[in-house]
Amino acid sequence: MTTITYPLSRIEGHARVVIDIHDDEVFRTDFQAMEMRGFSYYVQGIPAEQITVVVPRICGVCSTAHQVASVKALEDVFGVTPPPLAEEIREVLLLGQLIQNQATSLFIFTMPDRINAASIFEVAEPQKEKERQFSIAQAALRIRKIGTDMITLAGGQFIHPIKTTIGGVTSGIPREKADAMIKTIDSLLPVAQELVDIYWEMSMEMGDRIGSWGDDAPTYYLASTEADNFRLNSKRLRLMSPEGREVHNFSPHEFESYLQIEDSDYSYASSSSFQGEIMRANSLARINLANSMGTPKADTFLKRFVETFGRPAHAIMFFDLCRGIELVYALEKSRQMLEKDLEHGETEVGYTPRDGVGYGLVEAPRGPLIHHYQVEDGLIKNANFIIPTVHNMLAIRRALMVVAKRYVSAEGINSELERAVGRVVRAFDPCIACATK
Amino acid sequence: MEQKKELPKFAVLQLSGCSGCEVSLLNAQEWIEDFDLVYMPLVVSSHKIPEDVEVLLVTGGVRTDEDIHNLAKGASRAKKVIAVGTCALSGGVAQVSETHPARDTYMLSSHRLRLPDMLPHAYPIDRFVPVDIYLPGCPPTPQLFMTALTNSENAKIASIVCQECGRQKLQDMRPTSITGMRSGVVLPDICLVNQGYVCVGTSTRGGCGALCTRPGHPCVGCRGPANPYLNKEPEFVLDNLRRVFTRMTDIPEGEINAVLESPWLSLFLDQFTDYTQDDSLPLRTKEKMI
Repeated sequence: MTTITYPLSRIEGHARVVIDIHDDEVFRTDFQAMEMRGFSYYVQGIPAEQITVVVPRICGVCSTAHQVASVKALEDVFGVTPPPLAEEIREVLLLGQLIQNQATSLFIFTMPDRINAASIFEVAEPQKEKERQFSIAQAALRIRKIGTDMITLAGGQFIHPIKTTIGGVTSGIPREKADAMIKTIDSLLPVAQELVDIYWEMSMEMGDRIGSWGDDAPTYYLASTEADNFRLNSKRLRLMSPEGREVHNFSPHEFESYLQIEDSDYSYASSSSFQGEIMRANSLARINLANSMGTPKADTFLKRFVETFGRPAHAIMFFDLCRGIELVYALEKSRQMLEKDLEHGETEVGYTPRDGVGYGLVEAPRGPLIHHYQVEDGLIKNANFIIPTVHNMLAIRRALMVVAKRYVSAEGINSELERAVGRVVRAFDPCIACATK
Repeated sequence: MEQKKELPKFAVLQLSGCSGCEVSLLNAQEWIEDFDLVYMPLVVSSHKIPEDVEVLLVTGGVRTDEDIHNLAKGASRAKKVIAVGTCALSGGVAQVSETHPARDTYMLSSHRLRLPDMLPHAYPIDRFVPVDIYLPGCPPTPQLFMTALTNSENAKIASIVCQECGRQKLQDMRPTSITGMRSGVVLPDICLVNQGYVCVGTSTRGGCGALCTRPGHPCVGCRGPANPYLNKEPEFVLDNLRRVFTRMTDIPEGEINAVLESPWLSLFLDQFTDYTQDDSLPLRTKEKMI
């Protein structure tokens, strides 16, 4: 038996891929999370109201989603309804995170695969290519920074944000700061569109070179955005069948009836399924489940994607293309929202703590995220984090099996396998820190 | 042929953490032109730290046997080691509720086939390797990263968070209980302690720009103790906070004590001070702190 281990880079956290081969036959592929964060254990016993400061630290990349989900779960326990203005500001915050995350995944994590480089910061000769790539990298970092600045604007902090608190948000967004952000978006939206187009072209070339966009079979899709409203501060989850029918629509309170979560012997991350069936979450799931984005330019990009690849679209590399649609959407949508008055009016309401059970749902960049708490005597008795990456774990393993079979034969192991493994994992943009509860 | 200027080699080793420090570093884009980034798996496909690294940033705490190995190897190849973020300085958020019975369940659950084993504790990195500069924060801001990388000798850091906060401390606004978020109101421009919030900005190292307190969230102490409290026992820091609350509020002593000992603050406060209980660790002088 031969075991090949591929350490992974350009993903969030520590993970590796292990492929077991016997007699030229691939018989096992693992995607292993290498450390266990352990939050669901060590938040037990802490005062419930303090958990919102602790749980963003599950992950510095996804801290915004965790903070908002955490606050929503406690609002559910305490029976508090935040004012509408707070809900709007939280949406801007989540859009900021989507911009930051999709720009990172597209340009820092996956673009190097399309140009065969180790990173976007270093590109081999010729000089002309180098200069072009350098200007792409500069532009990409500027787009990414819009997301970071938007998180700061709506969340206070740029990582582990603090403005969202039980009952609302601590303060609004001042007009002058909103205007400055609108100005930045106006100047950089065309740049973002151009980058997404460049990315699309690079992906087409890569698809031709490899001869495949990913041969894996269709799966179920899970998202909490609505068909005609891409709100990330979401309320319900939807499940689409491999044929493209919406088969379930459920509230976070009911998640256990639909999502089965299991521990693994070979990874610190768990995996979830829909009644034993493989699911996919993240960008491709949201786009498959969307009728329209609701903003003009993003809708143009959506139309191109659907006309080119159909709906539902299933190939693994489509995840990356869908991130481009979402990046343009998030820039357009946040601009629209910042035009409203987010400074004046009630931003928060008071509350009285009580014991009970609560659920907080948001659509994180990687898919639906649920925080589920049980509060007893004012303390966290149990905390359960339903992590988007966990929904993709079975799909990642199977996709790895498909590429391993593609590149392992009686002639040997094709050297393309290592690159293919990286491309497949990065398409799912897994977050390992989050995935290990 | 044009001679290319040799830039100092720069590596980022991530142990067990949340990647927040790396994300913050990416936001401080200026270093990209001053350094040759040779190792940072989050953004570069490289799996080995080269031999002659000028600066090694270490983020995350030591939580697995593999972390110890990677840290020792990385540090031996670098001229200068910078410990970045609360986890590298004190083990970090993984220490919350360390004494709770759930910790035992966690240890029992944290073994897997073919994978690194989790250690019973998250250790600061200077327990294993010498550290030249400490950069606390959860995460440190991009500006602080730039200071650590380019100007650590002449760094001018605000002594405490209050210096940069801009909220006014009032004599005649004395809360009688800790209402905190429950009130649903944060008045702008007035000190959060005056408003009944548990804010520990008075003892916490500045330099962060008071990012949390200015929009209305109390400081939770992520930058650790200010210079006068470095290497001091937990009681020393807590006494100082008690004095602040006694001077500025009419909150009963019992209520103040209860909240000062709560996990919210232990997330950072206890960790940085717990550190002083371990004799095997080197002292942290203020010259080494950013």
